[in-house]
Amino acid sequence: MPTALVADDEPLLRERLCGLLARLWPELIIVAQARNGREAVEMFDEHAPQIVFLDVHMPGLNGVEAARSIARRAEVVFVTAYEQYAVTAFEQGALDYVVKPFDEARLADTVQRLQQRLARAPVGDDAKLDAVIEKMSAELRRRVTSTGWLQWIKASVGTSVRLIPVEQVAYLRSDEKYTLVVWEGGEALIRKSIRELADELDPERFAQVHRSVIVNLHQVSQVARGPNETAEVHLKGRTELLPVSRSFVHVFRHM
Amino acid sequence: MNSSAPLLTPRLGLAALLKASFKPLRLAISLSLATLVAVVLNPIFETSFLSVLGRTVFVGVVVLLAFDIAGHWPLRWVPRWVAQLLAVCLAAPLATMLAYLWIVNGDVRNFLQHEGLISGFMFISAASLIVALILALGVLYRQRDHQARAQELAFALERSTLEKQALDARLRLLHAQIEPHFLFNTLANVQQLVESGSPRAAPVLQSLIAYLRAAVPTFSEQNTTLGTEMALVKAYLELMRMRMPDRLEFSVDWPAELASLRFPPMALLTLVENAVHHGIDPSETGGRILVEAREQAGAVEVSVTDTGVGMSETAAPGTGLNNLRERLRGFFGNAAQLQMLDEPPHGLKAVIVFPKG
Repeated sequence: MPTALVADDEPLLRERLCGLLARLWPELIIVAQARNGREAVEMFDEHAPQIVFLDVHMPGLNGVEAARSIARRAEVVFVTAYEQYAVTAFEQGALDYVVKPFDEARLADTVQRLQQRLARAPVGDDAKLDAVIEKMSAELRRRVTSTGWLQWIKASVGTSVRLIPVEQVAYLRSDEKYTLVVWEGGEALIRKSIRELADELDPERFAQVHRSVIVNLHQVSQVARGPNETAEVHLKGRTELLPVSRSFVHVFRHM
Repeated sequence: MNSSAPLLTPRLGLAALLKASFKPLRLAISLSLATLVAVVLNPIFETSFLSVLGRTVFVGVVVLLAFDIAGHWPLRWVPRWVAQLLAVCLAAPLATMLAYLWIVNGDVRNFLQHEGLISGFMFISAASLIVALILALGVLYRQRDHQARAQELAFALERSTLEKQALDARLRLLHAQIEPHFLFNTLANVQQLVESGSPRAAPVLQSLIAYLRAAVPTFSEQNTTLGTEMALVKAYLELMRMRMPDRLEFSVDWPAELASLRFPPMALLTLVENAVHHGIDPSETGGRILVEAREQAGAVEVSVTDTGVGMSETAAPGTGLNNLRERLRGFFGNAAQLQMLDEPPHGLKAVIVFPKG
C-alpha cells in the first residue's frame, strides 16, 4: 500500500488535501500530518512514507528546506499559493507541484504521475531535482530581509523599550559609559559604546566625526570649517553644533 | 553630488582670490569706467591724459580688489554687503592718495603745498567714489536677485518632490493592498469550508467580503474613520485565525466614542499585517495579537501588540513602515507619531498617536 505525509501549517488546507486524496486515490494511506517543516522531517524519519506533500511556506523550517533534508528518499510534491518564482523553478525541474487553491482535476493529474513513478522504479536519481531545490532554497533565503547593519536602536524610554529606526537618528554622542541617541522624537541613553555603534551602523549613512560623535550624514545641513583643521557640523532643523575633530575632517573633504 | 550634501565653505588663497576678482568681464568694466572718468576729468587737469588715466585705472583696480577681499573675508559681526560697501568707500580715496603720493615721490609737504595736486586728488577720489559706489550697489543687487531666484528654484524643487512623494505613496497604496498570496490562500481555506459543508463557511465569507470591501482601492479614501479601520482589521484577523487557528489568538478593542474619528485608510491594517507576517507567522507556536484604541490627554493612541518572535535590530524596516509614516504625515501633518516598542519577553508593540479632532 502506498504511503504519504502531508505538511501544511493551515489545518483546513491539510484537511482539503487529505479529503481529495482519499477520493482520488483510496489506497493511499496518509501516515502523518505535519504543521511545519521541522515536524515534517521528524515524521518522515519516523514513518518513511513514499510520498511527501510539502507546503512551501511554513513557519520555522520551510517546505523547501524540509525537502532538502528528506533528499531523494521520497517523491516530493510542493503545494504552494501564488509563488511565481517557485512555479518557474518547478516548471524547469522534475518536481511536481500544486498551486493553491487547487481543483480536483489538477490533483488527479498529480496522483496519476505519482502512481506511474511509484510503479516504475524506486525514487529517481534525477540530479535536476537537487538543482531545483537548491535554486528555490537560495531564492527563499534571498527574501529574508536582513541587511547586516543596525536598522533599529533599542533604547529605554520610561518603562518601555523603544525601537528607533536609524534613519530618524540625528546623531549619537558618548556620555561617560553610555551613549546619547538623539532622534526626531527625543533623546535617550543606551548602553552601547560609540565604538560598537561605529562598527554596527551602515557607513553609507553614518560617519564618526569625533572620538565621541557619530552623525547621520542624511541629516547634516552644512559643515563649517573651524580653526586648526577642525570643523563643525550643522544639522537640519537643529540648533546644536557637533564637533569634527582633525582626524575626521577627511569624512567631508570629498563632498 | 546632490545639493543637500554638506559643503565646506571655501577659503581662498591670495592667488585664487586675485584670479576670482580679475575675471575678464569685471576687469573690463572696471578699466572702461576708469577710462571714462579720466576722459571726463581730463579737461580740468593740466597734466597729460595718460597720466590722469594711469591714476584712475590704478584706483579702479584697487577698488575692485577691495570689494572682492571684503566679499570673501570671514566675517562674524557685519553683514557681507555692508563690509563690501565700506571697503569701496575707504579704498577709493586711499587708492587715490597712494597714486598722488607716488607722483610726489612720497613728499607729503610738496603735495600739500601744491593746490593743483590737492584739487586733482579731490576730483579723482570723488569721481571714483561715486562711480565705484554705484557699481558696487549694482553688483550687490544682482547677487541678491540671483540668490532669491536660486532659493525660489530650490523651493519649487522641494515642493514638486513632496508632491511626487505623496503621489507615489498613493499609487503604492492602491497597488499593494491585496496580496495575491493572502487572497489565494484564504480562498483555498474557504473552498474547504464550503465543500465540506461547514457551518463556519458563511461567517468566514462575511469576513472576506468585509475585508475586500475595505481593501479594494476606492477613491473615497478621505472619509475613512477609526471605526471602519478597526472593522477592517477585525475582518482580516478573523480570516487569519481561520487559516491558523492553532497559532493565532487576537482581540480588537475600541471605545465607541472614538469610532467616528478620521483615520487614514489601511494604516492600522499595515501594522496588523506586519504583526502577522513578521511576528506570528514565523513562529511554530504562534502568539496573540491585541489591537486597542484609547484616549489619553487629548491624544488618541492606537496600538497593535503581538507576542510573536519580535524584531531583530538588523531587520530592514521595509517599505510598509516607511510608507505608513508618510501616509500619517500626509493625513495628520507632523502631529502624528508612529512608535515601535519592544514587548518583553518577545514580541513587538506598534503605536500610532494622533491628536483627537
